[in-house]
Amino acid sequence: MILRCLLAALVLGGCVQSGTSTDDPARQSASWSWALPFYFPTPKVPSDNPMSEAKFQLGRALFYEVRLSGNGQQSCASCHEQGKAFTDGRAVATGSTGEHTPRNAQNLANVAWHSTYTWANPALVTLERQMEVPLFAEHPVEMGVNDQNKATVLARFQADRDYVQRFAEVFPGEPIGFSQIIKAIATFQRGLISAASKYDQYLQGKAALSAAELRGKDLFFGEQAECFHCHGSFNFNDQVVHAGSGLAEALFHNTGLYNIDGKGGFPEPNRGLFELSGVPRDMGMFRAPSLRNVALTAPYMHDGSIATLEEALDFYAAGGREIKTGPHRGDGRLNPFKSDLIVRIQLNEQDKANIVAFLKTLTDEKFINDQRFADPRRSK
Amino acid sequence: MRLYAILACLILSACNSSGDSATATPISPQPDQAVAVQFALKAGGQTAECNTTLPALGSRATSAKLRDARLYVHDIKLINALGQEVPLALTQNALQYLNVAMLDFENTTGNCVGSSALNQQVTGTAPSGQYVGLSFKVGVPDTAKDAAGKEVILNHSDTMAVPSPLDNMALGWSWQAGRRFVQLELNPDVPAVNGKTVNWFFHLGATGCKADAVNANLFSCSNPNILPLRFASFDVAKQRVVLDLASLLQGVDLSQDAGGAMGCMSGPTDPECAQIFNNLDLNLNESAAGKKDAGLPKGDGSFSKVFKVELK
Repeated sequence: MILRCLLAALVLGGCVQSGTSTDDPARQSASWSWALPFYFPTPKVPSDNPMSEAKFQLGRALFYEVRLSGNGQQSCASCHEQGKAFTDGRAVATGSTGEHTPRNAQNLANVAWHSTYTWANPALVTLERQMEVPLFAEHPVEMGVNDQNKATVLARFQADRDYVQRFAEVFPGEPIGFSQIIKAIATFQRGLISAASKYDQYLQGKAALSAAELRGKDLFFGEQAECFHCHGSFNFNDQVVHAGSGLAEALFHNTGLYNIDGKGGFPEPNRGLFELSGVPRDMGMFRAPSLRNVALTAPYMHDGSIATLEEALDFYAAGGREIKTGPHRGDGRLNPFKSDLIVRIQLNEQDKANIVAFLKTLTDEKFINDQRFADPRRSK
Repeated sequence: MRLYAILACLILSACNSSGDSATATPISPQPDQAVAVQFALKAGGQTAECNTTLPALGSRATSAKLRDARLYVHDIKLINALGQEVPLALTQNALQYLNVAMLDFENTTGNCVGSSALNQQVTGTAPSGQYVGLSFKVGVPDTAKDAAGKEVILNHSDTMAVPSPLDNMALGWSWQAGRRFVQLELNPDVPAVNGKTVNWFFHLGATGCKADAVNANLFSCSNPNILPLRFASFDVAKQRVVLDLASLLQGVDLSQDAGGAMGCMSGPTDPECAQIFNNLDLNLNESAAGKKDAGLPKGDGSFSKVFKVELK
C-alpha cells in the first residue's frame, strides 16, 4: 500500500505541484468544460483561441475534411485515424501528392499538454503553429496548400452554406481564412482527451490490474526498467505544459537507435534536433512520445523502424540497437550522444511480457470509439 | 466674457509656445525625395530570367534554368557624404511592409513556379540631400516598428496573419516558424531522375529557432542568417545592385548533390551550404568552438562577392 502511494505520487508529481485541481475555475467556462480526472492538470490554451463546443465541432468537421488539401485528396485524418489512436499504422506518412514524410505520424491523444510538437522541433510549441507544417510544407508536400491554390481551397468553404454558417457562429465578423481553420482544428485536437484506459480506471479505483499488469507497472516505474524517466508523467512522456506551468526546458533524447559512422551519426534527414541546430550534442535527439494507447500506434520510433512493442522492449533492454548490415549498419548502443538514461538493463522474458501487459492497459477503448472524435459525416 | 476669452487665449498660446519650443523657430522643412533602388539578378554577365538558359554555373560549369528567384530585403539605408546612414522610408504596398521588401525575379514563364509579376526595385522616400552610398540587409528581421512606434513581429509571424508580402506562403518556412529569406531554385541541365526534372534549391533562412518558453510568439534562433550589404559608393540614380548567381554558386557542384537537402536549405552540415555561405561571407557554423557566431556575417557586407554594384 505504501509502495502504491509512492508510485501514485510519482505519477501524479507533475500535477500535485501544478497548482491546478478539480475545482480550478480554469476547468470550466460558459462554453467549455474540461472533464478530466484529478491527476490531469488543466491544459494551457492560447489566449487568442479559447475553447468552445461550437469551435470544437467545427474543428472536428475540418479535421476530417479532404477539401482542406490542395488536391482535395487528403484530410488530417488520412494520417491520423481514430482507431489507431490517431496514427496511420505506417512507418512514415504519405502526403496528398504521394510524397513520404521522413517521420512516423504521431498519435494525437492528449496533445494539449505537449510542450513541443512533431518529433524534434523546439520552434513548434503550439498546435496552431505546428499545423502550418502539414498544411503548407513543400518538402515534402503533405496537405499541399500553396500560394497558387490557397484561394481555391478557401473558396470551397466560403461557398458551402453549412460551413459559412458555422464559421460565422464561431468567428463572428471574421473571414473564412486559414487562421480560423487552424484555430478550429487546434481546438478539436485539444479536446482529444484519452483518460479512460484500464490504467486510468485503476487509478480512479474503478478497475483492478491483473498480477502481470501490476508487475509490469512496478517494473515500468522502477529503477530496474527505468521507463519512467522519460515516460513518467500523467501523459507518459516528459514534455508537459499546462495552465499552471512555470518555465520548463523541453527535453529531447538520443536513445541509441543508430550509429552509422561510429561517431554517433543518425541517417539523414532524421538526425533529430541536429537537423535544425548542427550542434554535435543534438545528434539523434528526439522527443519522447506519450505512451498512452501505445499498443495501437505501431510501428514505433521517429522513423517507424521498430515494428512491435516486444521489439521496442528488447531495444531498450539492450541499451540501444546494433544494426549489423545495410546502409544504417552500426552499433547504436555505443552512440556517444546516447542519453545516460538508456543503459543495458536486466529484463527477462517474463519482465518484458509484464511490461507489455502494463503498456496495454494504456489502451483507451472509449477514446478510439468515442463518436465525439469520429468523422461527423460517418458517425452515428 | 470677452476678457475671459482673451485670457484663455493668452494662457493657451503661452502653453503652446512653451510646449513646442523646438518648432518655435521655424526652419523651412526639406521636402522628402522619392527614391527607387534598382536590383537585378544575373548569372555572370547575363541577366537571369525564367525563359533563358543560364550558362556555366558552379564547379562543373553546369547550365541551368531558373525555377524561382525571390528574396526579402530590409533596413535599406542611404549613406551621405558624412558616412551617416539614413533610413529609406518604404512606400507601403503589396510588396513592401514596414521596413521589409520582397524582390521577385521570376514571372512564371519557362520553368518558373511563383507569381506572374516581377519586382526589381525598392521604393520609398528619404530626406532631401546628397547620398553617396547604400546599405541593406537580406532577410526578414524579427521585429520592426510600425507608424505608431509599436513593435510588430515579422520573421516569426504567422503567414496567414500578416500583410503582404510577408503572407507569401512560398517563402514561408513553417518548420522554423519563420521565412525563407532567399529562395533561389534552379533546374540544372542534368538527366532526369525517375522521369522527374532535377530541382536544385537554395533556401536561406534563420535556423536553430526555439520558441520562447513563456510567449509562444517570440523566438530566438541559433543561426540568424541575416546578411548585411554595404556599398560605400552607390549612385542610386545611375546604378543598381546585382545579385550574381555565378558568384553565389562559385565552387558548388550543381550536377550532383553531395549530401543533405538537394542544394542547400541552410542546413548546418549540408556540404553545398558550406560553399555557398562562404561565398556570402556568412558563418554557417561557429568559426571556432564557443565563438557564438554561427549564422552571423563575417563583416559588414562591404566586400561582398555575390552582391555587386553596376550601371543600370
